Amino acid sequence: MDNIGVIISLILIFGGLVALFYGSLKGREVDRRIIFLFIFLAVAAPILFPMTFEEKATQVVKSVFDKVENLPEGSTVLLSFDFDPAMAPEVQPMANAISRHCLEKGHKIIFMSLWATGQALLSQSLSESILPGFPEKQNLVDYVSIGYKAGNEGVPNVIITDIQKMFPTDVNSVPLDSIPIFDNIESCKDLDFIVSFGGGKPGPKEWILFVGDPGGVPIGVGVAAVVAPQMYPYLPDQVIGILGGVKGAAEYESELIRVHPKFADMDTPGLLMMGPQTLAHVVIMAFIVIGNVVFFRGRRREKKE
Amino acid sequence: MKKTTFILMAIVSALFLLSWILKAGSLSGETDNYILQGFLVTFSAFLTLSVLSFLYADNPLYKFAEHLFVGVSAAFWMCMGFWTTIVQNLIPRLSDGLSKFFEQQPQPGDYNFFFFIPVILGIMLLMRLSPKGGWISRWPLAFIIGTTAGLNFVRYLRSDFIKQISNTFVPLLGTEWQGIGHFFSNLDLSASGQLVAIAANWVIFLGVFCGLIYFYFSKEHKGAFGAASKVGIWVLMLTFGASFGYTVMGRISLLVGRITFLFRDWLEIIS
Amino acid sequence: MVYKLTLTLLTFLLIAPVVSAQETVAASVEATVGDPPMIDSSLIPAPPSDIKAVDTDNDHGHSITVTWELSADDGSGMNNVLSYEVFRWVPFLMDELDTLRAELARVAAEIDSVGRLTSELKDERTVVRAAISDMADQMPEAHRMYPEGGEWRLLDKVVSGVATYENTGGKNREGSDYIPDFSDLYFRVEAVTIDSTIRAASGVAGPVQSFGQWFNTGRTAVFIAFMFFGIMTVFFVMKARRGSELYVRPLAGIEAVDEAIGRATEMGRPILYVLGLGTAADVATIASFTVLGRVAKQVAEYQTQLIVPTYDPIVMSVAQEVVKSSFSDAGRPEDYNEDIVYFVTQLQFAYVAAVNGTMLRELPATNIYMGKFFAESLLLAETGALAGSIQIAGTDEIAQIPFFIVACDFTLIGEELYAASAYLGREPILLGSLKAQDYAKAAVIVLATIGLIAAQFEWNWFIELFHVVD
Repeated sequence: MDNIGVIISLILIFGGLVALFYGSLKGREVDRRIIFLFIFLAVAAPILFPMTFEEKATQVVKSVFDKVENLPEGSTVLLSFDFDPAMAPEVQPMANAISRHCLEKGHKIIFMSLWATGQALLSQSLSESILPGFPEKQNLVDYVSIGYKAGNEGVPNVIITDIQKMFPTDVNSVPLDSIPIFDNIESCKDLDFIVSFGGGKPGPKEWILFVGDPGGVPIGVGVAAVVAPQMYPYLPDQVIGILGGVKGAAEYESELIRVHPKFADMDTPGLLMMGPQTLAHVVIMAFIVIGNVVFFRGRRREKKE
Repeated sequence: MKKTTFILMAIVSALFLLSWILKAGSLSGETDNYILQGFLVTFSAFLTLSVLSFLYADNPLYKFAEHLFVGVSAAFWMCMGFWTTIVQNLIPRLSDGLSKFFEQQPQPGDYNFFFFIPVILGIMLLMRLSPKGGWISRWPLAFIIGTTAGLNFVRYLRSDFIKQISNTFVPLLGTEWQGIGHFFSNLDLSASGQLVAIAANWVIFLGVFCGLIYFYFSKEHKGAFGAASKVGIWVLMLTFGASFGYTVMGRISLLVGRITFLFRDWLEIIS
Repeated sequence: MVYKLTLTLLTFLLIAPVVSAQETVAASVEATVGDPPMIDSSLIPAPPSDIKAVDTDNDHGHSITVTWELSADDGSGMNNVLSYEVFRWVPFLMDELDTLRAELARVAAEIDSVGRLTSELKDERTVVRAAISDMADQMPEAHRMYPEGGEWRLLDKVVSGVATYENTGGKNREGSDYIPDFSDLYFRVEAVTIDSTIRAASGVAGPVQSFGQWFNTGRTAVFIAFMFFGIMTVFFVMKARRGSELYVRPLAGIEAVDEAIGRATEMGRPILYVLGLGTAADVATIASFTVLGRVAKQVAEYQTQLIVPTYDPIVMSVAQEVVKSSFSDAGRPEDYNEDIVYFVTQLQFAYVAAVNGTMLRELPATNIYMGKFFAESLLLAETGALAGSIQIAGTDEIAQIPFFIVACDFTLIGEELYAASAYLGREPILLGSLKAQDYAKAAVIVLATIGLIAAQFEWNWFIELFHVVD
């Protein structure tokens, strides 16, 4: 059933594109709404009839994966959910994948957020995606969520010397003193690894500037695609790896499944999103070709006149 | 109101109601408050479609969704700021009575005169709302701008300037250079090979070098300098191209997120 | 002879039982103490030598770094050293301080259990706190009494092969890890073998005092960069103020502005100038005001129509002043009217919708976007392109530059916007800081080139200069 659906939608989309290309050769212009329609079809079809592609982790993603994989059991990792619902489809899949990986390796996780809207997404991730796979893990012992604090870059700037000063309690108002995870953790300098998921300000960049560089703490970033190119200059000294957009998430998920087969049945939104991505990119490239044909034909005609 | 607008509004309202009823019906076995849940899912779908309708043309539904979003997010941020910062961080350090009122654990031992300074600055900032006392808000604003500038200046100078300079210190012949003869006899074209490593280092160096020359304004771009600046602008354009590509990927991910919501949570045609 | 021999024998017979009795007593005493009776002295390792204790550098005090030479039997010789134990001499006053802290913790627990701060508890807490503070003040004096009134206490163990230990404590007097500053501290280290009774102690290091430093030498590189940049800026701003001619190269985007104004005049259509979403305090908006001034002046001269919709009320009032003075400069103050610059709304997309509407209705010959732009950049530029206007953009928001590049005819990339404003306005502060930035860039190019050579030939001392530590 799925295969038939895939074939029919592919025929529809590519047939339409060929017709448009033919039209453009004839000098016909394409209305922008037609472009929107094609993009919608290219995205919707693979969601209805899932198309998956094999992903192989590139070095920038693999270095984050290896870091989590090779940390000794019982290390403390801080994961900061610095995003809002608008960024969530891109960033949440990687946050979920890395959280699972950390729990699987027996690391202790401190969850937090520099965005007010991140806290709700964080608790959603915890209750719906991350924790159901680990019923044996205990709150406050294996993981803790300290939630959101206002203050933008001021927050990392304070917790680099003292976490309690900014976060006297966790989200449920349990004092940090009484939480076992914080027995040996006073400041961010005592952490073994920090991953910031985000793409706005404050976000990954602030973690590099205010915690990674001054504190010498290894930082990994999971960013929305838009800002991924701005993260590359920090490689490899200031960040150890980058997960850029859905592609980064998909690569991490596939690497996680490859190394830990127990995750084979987990939900993989990153991998599933690569189907719509691929098809939509093909459609966009086709439209770039069509657009250029129309443009150059128009210019040649102007020259002739 | 025009007649077509009226008819369209009636159709949209009817569809909304229909969807609400059907959704509530399908949720009735799963949750207790299925009527509310049905409404929430339908309303989310309605807002998504309203925003997407902008792609066709600007319309009142889009405007409604946009204004709602702006209003709700402003209120949300304000509430979060109040409860997580003022209530959780400040009040327990100021007074027991207030902590009790907000059901916060007071923090004995942390009463400190200094915590009244941010309170005063905060109140001064709110003077913006007063037509006559607006000038008072400039003082805390000056404090914020001054401290942020100072804080950022050192951090940026360190991470984005000094660290980035030292990051360009790459050996142009690679780390394992043993002479030209050795290089050619062991030529390795794989991604981890010496040739690729050397090429990558050259790209970093030339990219930084030519990019900086492009942004050098004290000399006219002629001759060799001009050529380097040309290379610089090419490097910039390639970066922007990559950035654009990434942006397309990001935007499509967002669309996938929305369409998945419509198909899975609203229409239930996928699981 | 016989007499002498008999005497010696008698003496021996008399003394022998006494001596043997003494030996037995000594042995029995040792046995009752419980220590292993026999320590094979050949197994005792060589002690760690050359122990030194110094204040830890580049910190806020309350920390001492202890270093020593490894024992000769660590890694060589008998190779039986398992770890080193670091001791500090602690006055008994510290125990009394601990008692007070426990008292404070008890009061805090009581406050917790009562649920509120009663006046008795508050008084009690104030008394304990004052006592802690008093006692902490006596710490330097108590340490000066060494070795009276205190004892050696084990701080920590470090594994063999390591010859350094940092004794870092807190500055909080109420915390259990408090280490007093400006007090004479003494340290010693013992090399310990697998049998913890077989150990060898070093000499004593001290007295040493911990204290905070005013300057963190690890950040010297940041300091030098800061001074270089600061001095350059001040120097060039002053130079520009004195009226020196500072060269700034012409920019394609700015020349295009001149052409575009001419074109608008020929076509008889207006020019649309968008200042972006920034506030009047953003550098990009300030730079944009200068460009607006230039555009307004030419518009006044050519008698073309200018439209400036604004997003921020303060930006609007500044822009009005700018345009008004430009019209005066052009000698046509009578042509200025208040409606050239107007306020639209402070909602991002509503603003975009309004500006887009203006574009499609008025069909401006030229659209100029300069300032801070966010997600609306492409929406604006795309509509302008559809309307067939010539478009010139400039912003320092890196994420938006690609959109402007694809949809506009000319784009001022990042710093070019500042340069354009300095070029047009000749404002000393802008011109001076632009020059300083240019010299900073030149410095980066030179340093990067030296760095490359350094990296190739492994001159690590040069690379180390850029190493910043906290």
